[in-house]
Order: sequence, then structure tokens, then C-alpha cells
Amino acid sequence: MQNTNTLQTSNRVLVVGGGLGGIRTALDLAEAEKDVILVDKAENIGGLMTQLDRTFPTNNCDLCTLAPNLSESGRQEHISLLSMTTVQGVTGEKGNFTVSLKSAPRYINLDKCTGCGACYEAFPECVRFSPGLDHRAPTCMRYPQAIPQAYSIELDKCQDIEALVKSCPAGAINPDDLGSSGDISCSAIVMSPGASLFDPSGIDYLGYSEHPDVVTSLEYERILSASGPTSGQLLRPSNGKQPKKIAWIQCIGSRGLQKGAAPYCSGACCMFALKEAMVTKERFQEDIETTIFYMDMRTFGKDYELYYQRAKDDFGIRFIHSRPHSILRQPGAEKLEMSYTTDESSKLITEEYDMVVLSTGFRVGDDVRDLAVKMGIELNESNFPAHTGLNQIATSRPGIYVAGTFQGPKDIPETMVQASAAACLAGKDIAAPKKSPDTKPLLPPEKHVVGEEPKVGVFICDCGENIGGVIDVEALVERVGKLPHVVVAQAEGHGCSRESMDHIRSTIKEKGINRVVIGGCSPRTHETKFQDLIRQEGLNKYLLEMANIRDQVTWVHALQPEKAVKKAEELIRMAVGAVIKAQPLAEHSLPINKNVLVVGGGVTGMTSALELAEQGFKVYLAEKSPDLGGIASQLRKTLEGDDVQAFLSSLIEKTMANENIEVITGAIIVDHSGMPGMFTTGMQVGRQMFYRQIEHGVTILATGALPNRPEQFMLDECKEVVTQIEIQVLIEDQSEIVRQWENVVMIQCVGSRTKDNPNCSRICCQNAIKNSLRILEINPDARVFVLYRDMRTYGFQEEYYQKAREKGVIFVRYHQDNPPQVASVDGKVDVSFTDIILGREIVVSADCLCLSTGLVADQDSTEELAMIFKLPRTHDGFFLEDHVKLRPVDLPVPGFFVAGTAHSPKTISESLVQARAVASRAQTLLAKEFINLGAATAKVDSTRCASCLICVRACPFDVPFINADGYSEIDPAKCHGCGICATECPAKAIQLMQFEDDQILAKLEQLFEEVVG
Amino acid sequence: MENFEPVIVAFCCHYCAYTAADMAGSQRLPYPSNVKIIRVPCSGKVDALHITKAFEKGADGVYVAGCLDGDCHFKNGNDKAAKLVTYVQNYLEEIGLEPERLEMVRISAGMGDRFALIATEITEKIRKLGPSPIKTVAA
Amino acid sequence: MITAERKPLEEIIEYIKPFKRILLLGCNECVTVCAAGGRKEVGLLASGLQLALLKSGSSIEIREHTLERQCDPEYVEELVPMIGSEEAILSMACGCGVQQLATRFKDKPVFPALNTKFMGGSLSQGMWDERCKGCGDCLLGLTGGICPIAKCAKQLMNGPCGGSTDGKCEISDDVECAWQLIWNRLKALGQEDRFLDIMPAKDWRSGGGGGPRKIIREDLAE
Repeated sequence: MQNTNTLQTSNRVLVVGGGLGGIRTALDLAEAEKDVILVDKAENIGGLMTQLDRTFPTNNCDLCTLAPNLSESGRQEHISLLSMTTVQGVTGEKGNFTVSLKSAPRYINLDKCTGCGACYEAFPECVRFSPGLDHRAPTCMRYPQAIPQAYSIELDKCQDIEALVKSCPAGAINPDDLGSSGDISCSAIVMSPGASLFDPSGIDYLGYSEHPDVVTSLEYERILSASGPTSGQLLRPSNGKQPKKIAWIQCIGSRGLQKGAAPYCSGACCMFALKEAMVTKERFQEDIETTIFYMDMRTFGKDYELYYQRAKDDFGIRFIHSRPHSILRQPGAEKLEMSYTTDESSKLITEEYDMVVLSTGFRVGDDVRDLAVKMGIELNESNFPAHTGLNQIATSRPGIYVAGTFQGPKDIPETMVQASAAACLAGKDIAAPKKSPDTKPLLPPEKHVVGEEPKVGVFICDCGENIGGVIDVEALVERVGKLPHVVVAQAEGHGCSRESMDHIRSTIKEKGINRVVIGGCSPRTHETKFQDLIRQEGLNKYLLEMANIRDQVTWVHALQPEKAVKKAEELIRMAVGAVIKAQPLAEHSLPINKNVLVVGGGVTGMTSALELAEQGFKVYLAEKSPDLGGIASQLRKTLEGDDVQAFLSSLIEKTMANENIEVITGAIIVDHSGMPGMFTTGMQVGRQMFYRQIEHGVTILATGALPNRPEQFMLDECKEVVTQIEIQVLIEDQSEIVRQWENVVMIQCVGSRTKDNPNCSRICCQNAIKNSLRILEINPDARVFVLYRDMRTYGFQEEYYQKAREKGVIFVRYHQDNPPQVASVDGKVDVSFTDIILGREIVVSADCLCLSTGLVADQDSTEELAMIFKLPRTHDGFFLEDHVKLRPVDLPVPGFFVAGTAHSPKTISESLVQARAVASRAQTLLAKEFINLGAATAKVDSTRCASCLICVRACPFDVPFINADGYSEIDPAKCHGCGICATECPAKAIQLMQFEDDQILAKLEQLFEEVVG
Repeated sequence: MENFEPVIVAFCCHYCAYTAADMAGSQRLPYPSNVKIIRVPCSGKVDALHITKAFEKGADGVYVAGCLDGDCHFKNGNDKAAKLVTYVQNYLEEIGLEPERLEMVRISAGMGDRFALIATEITEKIRKLGPSPIKTVAA
Repeated sequence: MITAERKPLEEIIEYIKPFKRILLLGCNECVTVCAAGGRKEVGLLASGLQLALLKSGSSIEIREHTLERQCDPEYVEELVPMIGSEEAILSMACGCGVQQLATRFKDKPVFPALNTKFMGGSLSQGMWDERCKGCGDCLLGLTGGICPIAKCAKQLMNGPCGGSTDGKCEISDDVECAWQLIWNRLKALGQEDRFLDIMPAKDWRSGGGGGPRKIIREDLAE
């Protein structure tokens, strides 16, 4: 805990847990110019996600998505990262907490460690390099992407401490490190410590501890992974052969089924199993059989139902609705034997499998429970934070917030949303956020170099032994010093050390250098650092090239030093050739208008508006109907019993009373222009439809969804047929009618999970449970039937499902191709359906037939808005986020965000999480005075353009257009910088800045300088 | 040619293959030094001309390394690159160069080992093919 | 626009083999739009020729340039001060451009690098189809906007031949029967009765049957 100065003030947030959620919270706060302390008990941050190979629903490699987050996190000046640190206790209250922290000794000085790995090579036994499941995962995942980029030492394992200390060229090893402990103060705390996974060893009939071929889903993930212990080969742990038949068993340790199982649903395991089965099928096709044994497939997330359909239809994964009885392995047999029965018959079926994967659910770890106790927050019986009304992020202790799997079981996208929402709430508790401009050094004006003779300075690092140990840096310096235009070439030791950086700066100044080449490590990790360095000396940031002679030369060609020298020289020659062609580039930046437009005045829109208004931003809240409230005005109570109307009226009151919010009802958006930070949106307002324009920096879409109302099951034909929304109004407002009912039938998935509307509406199962329970409360004699396809009571909702079964609600499963039949008979509705288990037709004469119709996108409104704002939508009309996992509420157009049911169907409390998440994301933009758009954008030379439209068609983001002058125009604010247009332009009228053709050709030219010449 | 050391140009996408190459480095996975990487923001940025110029200057082999299917940072740049590579392979054939001297490969950022493996395999393949007829003439 | 495609390399090499220095000339009009002869293709052809020649043991100096339009004399005139020691011009324009060059530079051989294909339009990125034969007497007003001259293999004037099956032409399943398209279109427009009018035999004189054609705008012409 160095630097106690900065630890005095309480104007900051403590984030506990450096998994994906904690990183997101810290980044959101830091980007909003708020200070954060991020503590994690592990050596490096990253959490559970670093062990995953590919994650749903995109099935892509996580490293590529996680890594940028981590290095972003490492760079933030507002974040102090304390790894190997735990919380000991918390005193004080919201606005002024005192937290005592304890850091374990790392024995490595983080300020000095360059992550070179010399210590690990010399003493692999006592250098922590690979914590985790196997040798590959952490080396790959936690390093070199790891933050902090440093090793840690297990001193007790070291025989020769003196030699270990000497092995470090940077002198970073400190065997006297005792760790540290101390108090810090902060205004608010966000807990995102993550969850553990259920350990199935206690369940004997699954044979997990006996049979090596029975693995948990996380273990299977590692086995399957290209970077796993078998290096990408899928092999049976028992005999090292490739399995031909694999089964997944769902709900292990969840839904209260086995010994020691939790009462809740873990929410993410169905998708997790689908993903694993799909990736398996993708790789082995017909060569492997995959079967998933499930109770209910719970693919309730956005577009998850389509993912399930794909697994079934395109990948040929077999689904069996059954819980296998036990997993056995006959003595001497190779295969696992599994018996189960199906819905269709009671006959016991026995099948052989090579591997069985147990889909184990989430648990609150003991350490996390202890932490929560130290934090003084109330827990529920499963040790998750106790329910605190509609605000999921709050805990029983004001000022302490919670996000991620510790809040409740969930997947990555929802974790990310909660993490942003927690940043929003915690950020608000900071009394007086410090303003940072004074901390930034003033930069000298940029020198004019265009037209000047190129004067290149080449600085080559030896990086200790990393480069210097393989090649003779001095000799290399001498050779490249003779290249044309190279004014100076010198060796720089550790180029990134403060001393060398100062030396480079003074050399640039003395020799009047106008272009710089650094020969050293990767531009991926160090380009920004050296760009900043030359900028401080008055050179444009883009007059720099880095030759990656460490990661891509000495580290990989160490065994062939002569070849390494040759290649290093070639790479430097290429860099010199390219930097000579480099031009100073302007980063595009724009001043930001700090007003916010929120479209949609339901609970989501109002909550976003209030959160931002309370942070001092002016908010225009545009609602197309005459009143605020949206769909919530029709709702009475939540499943958990929260009073929606009381909540809504207080929310409306607060919204109307807030001076920073201007509510514009009867507003229809008609036009839009500008770029992020300076939008202009036109709307027609009120009955007179008078036109007004609003200028704003960001736009939040909270336009909601519509209750679905399909013409099915005699809805709107027969007055006894109602929807879940209508029945809950009846229950709460006209209970005398409910008291007279004998039979009530509910049909699930009406108008959802069908051909026309393939997605799951997410909210209907819990609505049916909620209303069933309420009916039985009012009228205990009533018989309630719920006809369902899969009950999707995810998370803690499962406990209410359990309760409904206990109270006698009759749940009957039906197949999509054999739906219930209804007929109106004497003021009642006869519902006939097949009971799959009894195998016979049952007719119930219902006093009320209630249809679970769910939500659908407000097609007209989203289509209109998508057109005006140029936003993409999903096939079913919801707004499409930029990245499901990493930017779940950011829209692909910068400056646009989406929250609530405009994103996808969800409950009120889930909508409120998104409402706060977008408020947090919006603040990351609004905190800045200018928006930096970078320099790597495509530029059109209009004198060459043939207006052929090829760029217009080629751009993946629809940015180029033919302007009024008849030439292609590319808005740098919208260009993503891929360069595809530059490649395809037949007139060579487009160049991608920073990667111009002449630079690439110069590299080729230089590479072959000697070979050909 | 006993001591033939091919020169191979690898155009690597910043988001995947270039990162994978760095990773091969940090894992110290050796591969032949014959492979020289040119970093591009997306494999879709590689132009047909960049490839033919590489051969013109003296490359014995060229490969374009983009992201795995569906992983492109820019939606579909990797697919465009794959199409371009096929197109240029045909052109090379017309020119009279073995189209096998050019290849499209896909690597994700985490696959340091795959990067090293591909670099080794391609180097061996080109070594077997022998020096580019262009270079033999020019030298 | 006019569409074109690059000639096989072998043919182009035959043309330029005798020379040491040539000018490779692109055109920033139609052939750029159809990705056949713009700056990008000029660069790629130059590089390809260089490679092919280097391989066969020879080499050539290729100077690259692209004109705004090769079929206009003023643009071609821009070349005059720059053409020096180039012994021949290889044009990546359509046939119109090649002839314009040949007219202007009487002492230099001019070769086409492209095969000019047809007058057509863009279907989508990278795809073009034939739309017009330049018959000089447009019938599109009578045929629902679909040209039986350009799109019917037999250039029939009064309905399909017996080779039309399931809307496809007998020459290939990839070719749609123009008359089927015309019929569909007229039906959609409610003009089926137009089909009853017999179209007279076409006078091909306006289509070049009467020799090379020329347009003179009296008010503009000097």
C-alpha cells in the first residue's frame, strides 16, 4: 500500500472482486472520471472468465474480448489496483466508509517488474505463473494479458533466495516483502466477488469421484479448449481416447434436487451445456453424439431460444426430457452406463456413454459469505444478498452495492449490465468527485514536419536479457544507424523505464529528430506509451513505428541467434521505411454537449433520467403517449410481492419534481442528425404536433415493448379468456370474481417460441406462478392448472415455482405440436389437453382461461426509430446491442444506449438494472469535455473517386455515402477503421490513415532490400 | 537447393493473429524466423496489390492471417480476405506462380501455439516448393 | 455503363513482349466502376505483368497512369507532355478509349488490356448484367421495361419461343426467359393486353445495320 496520500480521501469507490463484473464497474467509474480502488484476492484480475474457452451466445474466444478490457483497466489513471488483497472489515456509512484491507506478500515490486519471465525460467518451482486448472489456461489467459503484468513468488518453495533475487534483471524481487495491511476510506462499495461452482463429489450416484469420465461442465470446458490440458484434443480422462458419445446432465446441485442442492435455478447452465455440445459437434460433426438430459430448457435470454433451436436443428444435438437415475461403470467396462425413463413410457432405458458432463450450478463460496458478513450485509438462506425490493443492486446496508453472480446466479451479459448499474449507484455516493484536468501535463505544440527531410531516431531496447541475451544490440544499433534518413540509432536498455524514456526525449530534442522507431516489444502493449512520449517532445503521435523484436523475434528465435539478428534488422528496416512515409495525423475530437435525450417514459426511461439528472445532467425525457408510466401502469405486484403502483407513482413524482428533467409527453421523434456528443433530434409534440429540436450528447432508448395479443385460444372471442396482465388486475381489483372460480387454466408460450415469434418472452412463467399463488391465496379451493412447455423460473424464481407446486398448482407439460384445445361451453371454457405422464386426454371446464402471451417488440415504433437513428434491430424488432457480452447496453452507433424491454423482454427489476447501467455508460461519455475518435479512419480523395458505390456496399458498418457533390464521403466519427473500403476501392481513392498503402509497400520494399538488391 | 531459406510475409490482423504471434512469443514457442509479420488492422485491409508486390519484391510465400469464422472485429473482414486470397491464387496461377505460395489462415488471439504451428508448416511447405521463380531470376 | 474484363495475362504479354518501356493506362469511368480498369487494377496488372516477365527471365519498365476518361480527346491530350520514352500504350479502358488513344498517338502502338463486354448495370457488389444492345430504337416502353433485344437470346419481338420452360431460357438454367419476365411485368402492371399487339419486324438500320453510327447535336457541334 504505497502512496498513502491518494488513499486519504474518501471520494472514491471500492470495488471488491476483479472478475469481469468488477472490471466493468471500475472501468465505468474511471471513464466517468471517478476514482476507484479495485481489490482482488488473486494474483491477477480476470476472475472465472479467464478459465472459459468460448462463451455463449457468440461462441467466440474470450481472450480476444477480455484482453482489451484488462489492459484498458491497467491503463486507467483513476484505478488503483490492489491484487492479492482481501477485505477485513468495514466501518462507517454511505459517503464515508473505512475499510481495512490486507495484502498478501507478492515478493515482487510491481513498479519494477517488467513481466519478462526471467525469474520463472530460472526458478519455475517457486514463481506463480500458472494458478488455475491446468498448465495452459493461466499461461495463456493470465499471462501475458495479465494485469498487473507481474509474476508472484512463493517464497517458501525457494531453496536459494539469493539466486532468485539475482535472476531478476530489473531488481524487482524483494524477499523481505511482508505484505501489508491498512485502512482506506471510500464513499461506496461495490461487491462483485463472483460465485463458486457446486461440488458434485458428495452425490454418490453420479459417480463423479469414482469415474474419471464424469466431469463437471467447467472441467469439460478446459478439456475441450484448444488451450486446455490436452492441447485442444478432446480425450477421455480415463483412457485418453476420443469419446464418441457424451451426455450432459442438467441441474446438478440446483433446483433443490439432490443432496445438498440449492433451491434456486442457476440460470446459466442450460446455455452453458448447449454451448459445450455445439462446440463439440462443430469440431467432430458426425463423429460424435451429444445428448442433453434436462428438466426444463431455460433459454430465456435475448435470442437464446434461437440458439437452442440451432443446437437442435442445425447441430443435431439430442435432447431428452429426463433425469437419469444413476451413472455406473460395470467392473472392467470401458463405458459409463446410464439409466433413465422418458415422458412417453415408464420403461427403463439404459445407454452407454464415453463421458458424462455434470452441469453444476453456482454457489456462494464460504469466503464470499464471510466477506459479506464482514461487510455487514444481510443474506438470504442461500447466502446471496437478501431481497431489497425492486433495486437488485442495493443491499441491506446503504452505500454497499452488489453485482454479478453474487447478486444471484446469472450469465456474462447480465453480469456486465449489473456491473455498470452498480457503477451508476456507487458513483452517485461520491460527495465531491475530484476534477482531473489539473493532473494532465500541458503538451507542447506539435512541430510541423510535413515537407521536412525525414530525420529518424532508432531506439533499441535490450529489455534485459530478453533481447540483449539473444542478439548483440550494440551491433544491431551500428548496422541500422547506416540506413538512409536515420540520424541517430542507440541502445536503450529497458526502453520503457523512466530513465530510458527521458533519454529518448532528450535525444529527440538534441538531434532534431522528426520520426521515431522503437525496436523492442509489441505495439499492442507499448505503442500508447511511446506515442505519448514523442508527443511530449512535440511530435505527432503517429510519427512512430515499433519493431516487435522481442515478442516476435528474440522470444521465439532464441535458439537461432544469427537468424534472430537478421530478422531483427529486417523488422527495424521495415519500421524505418514505414515511418519515413508516416504523416502526422489528427485525432478527431469534438466538444461534448452534456444534455441527454431519453426516449420512452416508462419505469426504465424515468429511472435513467433520474439517475443522470441527480448527477447534474440536463435530461429531456420524451414520451410518445400523453402520460408517463408505460406498461408498468397496468401492473400490480411483482412475484416477490413488491407493490408496483406505489413504486411507479413515487417514481413519476420524483421525475416531475426534478429540475434537471424536462418531460415532453406526446412527443414523436421525426428527425435526427449529428454525431456522438453533438446530436440534434427533432420531434413533433402534443396535439398540435408543433416541431421542436433538442440538442444533446447522448441518446438513451427506453421505448419498451408491447403486450402480445395473438388471436389464439379464443382470446377476444370469449370473455372467460384473458391474459396474465388482465388476470392480475382481476385478482387485485375484483377478488370477488376470483373467489367464485373452481377451475383456472393457464396456457404458457402463447404467441412465444412459435414459428412467427421464435423467442421466449422470459416473463410469462414467473407471471403464471405469481398469479397462481395469488389465486390460491384468495381462493384456496380453486384448482389451478398451468399447461407449459418448459417452466423457466430462473434464479430465485424457482423457489416460487416450488412453492406453487407445494400449494397444489397442477403443472402439465404439453408439446408444441400437440397444443391444448379450447371450446366455449355454457359460460365456461373447456380446455382439453394430453397429460403426457398419464398418457390420456383430460378436459377441464375452466371458469377462466388465462393465456401467457408475453411481450413483443413495438415493431412500428422501433422500426421508425431505427430508421431515424440508423440503428440495427434484431429479426424480431428489438434494438440490437453492440456486443452481447462486452457492451450489452451500448448500441453500435456511438452515443446511443438501450435499456429495458426495448432491448428484450424482462421484468421490472431487470429493466431498472439496465436503466442504471445505461446511466453509467452515458456518464462515461458525458464526463469528458471532448470525444476522441482516434486517427485510424478511412479518408477519401475526392479527385480520384469515381462514385462507383463499391465502398458504400463494402463497408461492414454502412458508413460511406455519396455526398451532394457526387463523391464518397466517410464520416470519421462513424468509421471503425477496418480499411476494407480502402482495399476494395477500384479507383484507389481511399486510404486508411495509419495503414496507408505506401507504408505497407515501404515495409515490403525494405524487407527485401538486401534479398533482391 | 540445400540451404534454401524462404522469405515469407505474413499479413496479420491486429486483433487475432498478431496477438497470437505475441502470445507465441510470451510462451517461447519457437517457429522459423523466415516468417515476417506485417500488422494490419483487419485481414480485410490486405490488398491484392500488397500480395503481388510481396512476390515481386522477392517473397517465396505469403499468408494472410485473420480471425476465426464469425470472430472478425469488423463483422466480416476475414471472410472478405479469404475471398481475396482465392482470387489472387488464381491470378498467381495465371502469372505462372504456384498458388500454394499464398494461403489464408485463421487464428484467434489466444492461439499462440497455433500461430507457431502454422508458421512452421507454411515455412516447410514453401521450403519444399523451392525458391520463388521470381527471385531466382532477379538474383 | 460499359463493362469489361481483363484479358488473359498471356494475351497481354504477347502484345507487350517486344517493348522495354510501356505506359499502362487506366480510366476512371465505367471500367473503374466495374472494377476492371481503374487505378487499383492498373497497379495489380502492372505487378502481375512484372511477375510474369521476371519469371520468364525478362523485365519491362511499366509506367502507371489513370485518366479521368480515355474516350475524350481533352483528357487524352494530358498524356502528350508526359509520354516520353514509352514505346507502347497498354490501355485498360473499353474499346472506345483504346481507339481514342490510337487516333491521338499515331506513332505508338496501342493495345487493349481489357475485353469490352456489354452495356449493363450493377446487380450487387461485384456482379453486373447486360441490359442494352444499343439498337437505336428503344422498345422498353412497350415491353414493361425489360429489353427483349438484350435479354432474349434470340432477340424475339413477340413472345417467347418454345424453349421457354419454367421461366428459364433453353440455353441455360441460369438465364431467365426475357419474355416470361416481360409477361410477369405486364401482368403486374395490368397491361396484359399489350401482348396482343403484334410488334412489326425490327428495323436494324438504327442498330448499326446501316453502318457505323454517329450523333450530331447541331446546337453544340462546332
